[in-house]
Amino acid sequence: MNTQVKHTTLSTDVLIAGGGVGGLTAAISIKEHAPDVEVLIVEKQTTGYGGKANKGGGVLQYFDLNKIKPEDFVKYHVNVIGAFLGDQELMAKYVAMNNHMLDKLTEWGARLPKNPDGSYSVIPTGPLTAMIGVDLDITIKLRRTAEKLGVKIIDKVAISDLLTKDGKIAGATGFSLLDGTFYEIAAKSVVMATGSQNYRIGSMWGSGRGDGIAAVYRAGAELRNVEFGNFAQLVRVKSHNEVVFGENNMYNAKGEHITKNFLKQREPDISSLAIREWYFAMTNGTGPVHLKFDAPGGEEGAPLSKVWDRPYGQEFWRLNHERAKDVDTDLEVCPMLIGEQSPIKVGHDMQSTIPGLYAIGDASYCGSAAPGAVPAPPGRNRGSGILNAVFAGISCAESAANHAKSAPQPETDKAQVEKSMKRIYAPLERESGCTAKDVIRKVQSAVGPMEYSVYIHADRIDKALNIVLEAKELVPTMKAVDYHDLLSCHEAEAMVLSAELHYRASAMRKESRGWFLREDYPEMDNKNWLKWIIAKNVDGEMTFTTEDVPYQKWAVQPVI
Amino acid sequence: MIDTKHEIIFHPEKCVGCGLCYKACFVDVIRWDEESKKPVFKYVEDCEHCFYCESVCKKGAIEVRPNYASESLLQTFDRYR
Repeated sequence: MNTQVKHTTLSTDVLIAGGGVGGLTAAISIKEHAPDVEVLIVEKQTTGYGGKANKGGGVLQYFDLNKIKPEDFVKYHVNVIGAFLGDQELMAKYVAMNNHMLDKLTEWGARLPKNPDGSYSVIPTGPLTAMIGVDLDITIKLRRTAEKLGVKIIDKVAISDLLTKDGKIAGATGFSLLDGTFYEIAAKSVVMATGSQNYRIGSMWGSGRGDGIAAVYRAGAELRNVEFGNFAQLVRVKSHNEVVFGENNMYNAKGEHITKNFLKQREPDISSLAIREWYFAMTNGTGPVHLKFDAPGGEEGAPLSKVWDRPYGQEFWRLNHERAKDVDTDLEVCPMLIGEQSPIKVGHDMQSTIPGLYAIGDASYCGSAAPGAVPAPPGRNRGSGILNAVFAGISCAESAANHAKSAPQPETDKAQVEKSMKRIYAPLERESGCTAKDVIRKVQSAVGPMEYSVYIHADRIDKALNIVLEAKELVPTMKAVDYHDLLSCHEAEAMVLSAELHYRASAMRKESRGWFLREDYPEMDNKNWLKWIIAKNVDGEMTFTTEDVPYQKWAVQPVI
Repeated sequence: MIDTKHEIIFHPEKCVGCGLCYKACFVDVIRWDEESKKPVFKYVEDCEHCFYCESVCKKGAIEVRPNYASESLLQTFDRYR
């Protein structure tokens, strides 16, 4: 290898890849459970500032557990959102832990608004749910708490490959964005808190680039629900600022309320049917589509201005709205792909199919099967993104700590480390080649259009997959000019992988279910498709199998 | 978003070298110059116009000027390309 870099070797009990809200929650929870266990967070940007929790909506889902039971929400979710593909037991656990999680976040320093009587200040969003606005310094507060508990943190280092030994996790490799230093980290447990795949399209979703998912796939762990990686949201067409709850008020150019026909109740969040209606309007000559809040039947959604009324978040949102006000001269909207593929398959303790390897938060939400037939987090369950990360972080702690305590000191496999090192720096070694952005642009052109990603058909899946395969051809030719660019090359490769997995699994699922919408198979097929699609790398081959959803053991039953 | 044309205006005379903007940038646009104790806006073409750097700067040393037209929504209809 011509690239000359420093080689740093480290060892820890638990390595956490990713310093967003999930990684920090896991770190704190592991230390609370087992103070003697060494915990190291490695984050490719800056722990406490990276991730999505601190630049998104900043809302936490709230359940009044004195009034509703977890099974009430599960029943609603299975019928309206998850479409019988979710793990009902796991979803019930998430709901039951709600108030505990809010108290824990407060204990760890997060600012949640409270009423004078000490209760949380909540905004109802439906008969079963409510939201609490959390200030956007949540992750900074959690970082401080983690550091006080002795968690070690390394920033600006990207985790690239996972190391295994005898089928179990043994650590990871990575490199510094600042000076290229190669990191070889031996670890007894590894927790992936690296986010979902969002293809670098939506602004606030830009940190989810799927490189953690790709590392897990390369290591041979199973992925689940890869076809649910096509979330989209309505945005203002000029500023691309999202319009939450806008789908209830979509009007075509003829002034017709195009989303009222399928609205049986106020939608909990954007539905793929609304995106289909937008597509129909655009193709049948009745577009573009505008939102109208003052028309009959139109009603502005939740009073969001009150949700944002927080000292830290206020300035963030003021800038977002103020800068956009000159361009947002009307309420024309169109969908924007967000993605949210979160497919690392995990059990209730967030352990993947590789012993000692865990995945939490946005990396494994669909892989955990909790949300069912919807891309998440938060998917169509607003406020569940941050809390799912907290839930998963808490849920993995005991198992990850115990695994680290019982596992022998890991030895890294020299051949694996060498191979990883070569793979990591390969784009810098090439004399010439295409850029990471050439590859990303191609993948974006496949996944971006709604008729290729959300409202799909066998012919369009083929076309999109062919574009992705053209991008795949370019991957071995990518040339990086520096370490920032090197990371882009790895992210581009991960985007190609995510998109290929998405389209191959989408072609298999010959039905429509929940968010998943096929023009050529418009009906939900409970006879043949109460199944999860499992993807796995077997000796370099992308393989797919199906697994029956064990719905018989849960309360809410589908009609077969 | 890739290859955006957002502008980041920096007023070095207002900067106190706290480094918060560098930490805040979640897409590695901003690097830190240890000698001058000032940010370097090294990869502006990767800016996602999140305004996070500007909102954490208590001294008003940073202003993000978005070029919304340089962002693509990637739809097949001409008006949203």
